[in-house]
Amino acid sequence: MMARGLGGFALVFAVLAALAVWREDLGLPIFYLVLASTALFWIAQATSWNVLSGYSGYFSFGQGAFVGVGAYTTAVLGGRHGVDFYLTVPVAAVFSALLALLVGALAFRLRSFRGEIFALLTLAVPFILAALARVNSEIDGGQGVIVPVAEYPDWLAQFQDFLYLLNLVVAVAAVAAAFAIQHTRFGWALASIRDAEDVAEGLGVATFRYKMLAIAVTGLIGGAAGSLFALQIGFVTVESVFGLTIPLFVIVMSVLGGRTHWVGPVLGAVVIVLIQDRLSASGFEGWNLIVLGAILAVLVVVAPDGLQARLWRRPWQAAVALVAVTGVLAVVDSWGGPLDWFVAGVLAAVAVVLWPGRARAPVAAERRPAAAPVAPEEAAGAVPVAADAEPGEVLVECRDVAKYFGGVRALDGVSLRIRAGELVGLVGPNGSGKTTLVNLLSGALRPTSGSIAVAGRDIVGLAPHRIAHVGVSRTHQIPKPFESMTVRDNVAMAIMFGRSPRPLAGAREEAEACLDVVHLRHLADAKPAEINLHERQLLEMARAIATKPKVLLLDEALAGLNPAEIDAAVAVVRRIHATGITIVIVEHLLRVVNQLATRVVVLNQGALLADGDPRTVMNDPDVIRAYLGRHAHARGT
Amino acid sequence: MTTLQAALSGALVGGMFAVMAAGLSLTWGMLRVINLAHFGLILVGAYLTFELATSWGLDPILTIVVTVPLMFLVGAGLQWAFDRLGVEGFASLLVSFGLLIIVMQTVSNVWSADFQRMEGDVNPYATGSVSIGRFVFPAPTLIAFVFAVVIVVAADQVLRRTFAGRALRAFAEDRAVASAFGIDHRRLGMVLAGLSAASAAVAGMLFALGNAVTPSTPFEWIGIVFAVVILGGIGQVGGVLLAGVLVGTLSAVVSATWSPALSPLVLFSAIILALLFRPHGLLTPASRGAR
Repeated sequence: MMARGLGGFALVFAVLAALAVWREDLGLPIFYLVLASTALFWIAQATSWNVLSGYSGYFSFGQGAFVGVGAYTTAVLGGRHGVDFYLTVPVAAVFSALLALLVGALAFRLRSFRGEIFALLTLAVPFILAALARVNSEIDGGQGVIVPVAEYPDWLAQFQDFLYLLNLVVAVAAVAAAFAIQHTRFGWALASIRDAEDVAEGLGVATFRYKMLAIAVTGLIGGAAGSLFALQIGFVTVESVFGLTIPLFVIVMSVLGGRTHWVGPVLGAVVIVLIQDRLSASGFEGWNLIVLGAILAVLVVVAPDGLQARLWRRPWQAAVALVAVTGVLAVVDSWGGPLDWFVAGVLAAVAVVLWPGRARAPVAAERRPAAAPVAPEEAAGAVPVAADAEPGEVLVECRDVAKYFGGVRALDGVSLRIRAGELVGLVGPNGSGKTTLVNLLSGALRPTSGSIAVAGRDIVGLAPHRIAHVGVSRTHQIPKPFESMTVRDNVAMAIMFGRSPRPLAGAREEAEACLDVVHLRHLADAKPAEINLHERQLLEMARAIATKPKVLLLDEALAGLNPAEIDAAVAVVRRIHATGITIVIVEHLLRVVNQLATRVVVLNQGALLADGDPRTVMNDPDVIRAYLGRHAHARGT
Repeated sequence: MTTLQAALSGALVGGMFAVMAAGLSLTWGMLRVINLAHFGLILVGAYLTFELATSWGLDPILTIVVTVPLMFLVGAGLQWAFDRLGVEGFASLLVSFGLLIIVMQTVSNVWSADFQRMEGDVNPYATGSVSIGRFVFPAPTLIAFVFAVVIVVAADQVLRRTFAGRALRAFAEDRAVASAFGIDHRRLGMVLAGLSAASAAVAGMLFALGNAVTPSTPFEWIGIVFAVVILGGIGQVGGVLLAGVLVGTLSAVVSATWSPALSPLVLFSAIILALLFRPHGLLTPASRGAR
């Protein structure tokens, strides 16, 4: 897949490069190459933006910063210090990547920076750089910098051919990089960050590192292309690079093309550049930005997923529309030139692709096979639990753990030991601190004081993905699947980044085994949106065990289920426990806890109230009082 | 002495940023609509003030009699469309970015891309100033500050004391519960968005009073105004005035002591620091974020 894809890019590059080298022999007017040059520049820019903002969902308004740093590096080094142009390109790329890493290091530190705040932060970056450039006369000083014309090889006829080739190199490299990223672990990590970042981190994805890598790639490509941009415009000013035009263009292009696939930005860039060119050529220069703004506003409402996904569904219709409209206009030949006909054809194809289709929901329902029958003895819970006979060594040790939220003491002085092979039921009234304890164990929260060790390793302060690698895995009360992936790939993700990572192909195979444990194999190809709550909760469990945990934390994994579904889920928990995984289950239904747990821990108002075997604990007067109130206990005795 | 004068003038200028930011902050906080088109409305407000004063000879301040109702309708209509189409949160940022670009380009097509400024004969406030002791305050910034205080205090009181204000706050806090208590969020949302747009008309007038405008002026506002919104705490009008004054003072002091070109640098660095340590606004402690 990867080798063939990259071979394809080499072929495309060779063919497109040949156009420039033998342009005069082919009789191709230079105008087409200039237009293609523009398209290639924007393909590189949109692809650069998309690696971070499309793949990982961190929308940036700061693309101009990377273009600007690239352009100014080339302009200043070449124009003021006489450095050879070819040398300035890699330097520009590296500078821009360093800036990107700086932005990332600031922005990705905080979890609350997702979404709008990240976008606004990136909006500020070009403003800062513009101010710096204006003030510093070594860089710009407010006058702009002239970029010297670079020497180009004599086998090229014109400077424009040279620019085209340079843009081609960068664009093909950028798209190939986006392709490669999408088809490796890197791309899967970014997709999981886009869908549910906290979950991804909890399953072992080093989200911070992948986000930094993504923003570095964005900076690298943006800077290299920006360096070429300097050569192209010949005179770099603050306004030409640090404005909002560049972010506007890349966002419109990527949203139009589709943000989750490497093809998206390419499609979007080509369509937008063609529209812009024809508008300018027909004397509608003043309408260019209006059309662009309208495309963005309408698309976000009508087709937020963009062209690519829809084109894959209607490839032939689009091709027919393109050929038919272009062909008819060419035959009639009463208006415009070849490029006008072609652009009209492209617009027709875009319209066909974006045309609202029929609802697809019924198809999904039909495709859904019946659930595999559950073996009766399993459902009845007759599978012997090997582990409860002899608890092993201490696996989880909490010492005097406390967690305060402002003045609220969610947990205070909780000490708890969990031994390998136990199935601990964690119960308590609402607000007693159960979920807080789970969050502390999984690393989603940090304790205010106290220590937590898992398998002898202190986990306080470790990033959640490191804790996952130590051997803690969890489910969420409200299931948070990766919505863009199939059920199988949701589980495969967890295997790819879990304690014993495997490449995608192997992970998909292994995922089937995990789906077997929870009886979800028949839904392996479904998307999470197509399955019900019970099945989503089972998927949570499958994903959690796929990381090969030592301890599995089930946070109200049975909430909202009907009695039959609860029995099925109980059987699944038993089966997971039988594979040797220690389980902590937070549950409100005491019937379930009594049935399952080898030991029950009761929390009340943030403190440990009781701890022991289920029967003793459930008869403890303190526990009854906490659950039913003082009065009920008094009447009972 | 000059620094103090600069700081005081800056504080007054901050009032204008507070007017610009108030509507933005409220629609973001209450309706979850991040409306970049708000800057487009301010721009149109400024141009309408210019046009009405220059062609019709209206007193510049009185132009708001025309522009405020007009903008109210535009804002309410826009919110109606956003609500019907389910545009909020991130989608609203993108859609309104598109709208902003459309407005800016349209303004450029109508009034040309050149600077436009109300001349002294139509704008009696341009050259006026008030001296207090040894300090001199230009009339436009003084007027802007008065408007800022009036608008912010009025908005704050309405939100605190009236039924509609309480309903809006309840809605911002928990939509499902608020709807269950019979709060008609559609109508309230349209009223709020309308008022926010009306404040944009005032902001536009205030800007045109003391400055020349070009179609690309909104780019100069976006950074500072978002800084004010975020520093003030999203959805908190009181914070907006404080943050506006703070931002105005800081940027004026930097301009006076170092260089005008450096002021965005210091300003945005300050914003980034604030975002890192006080992501929910200056008045809200970091540990008590609403979302």
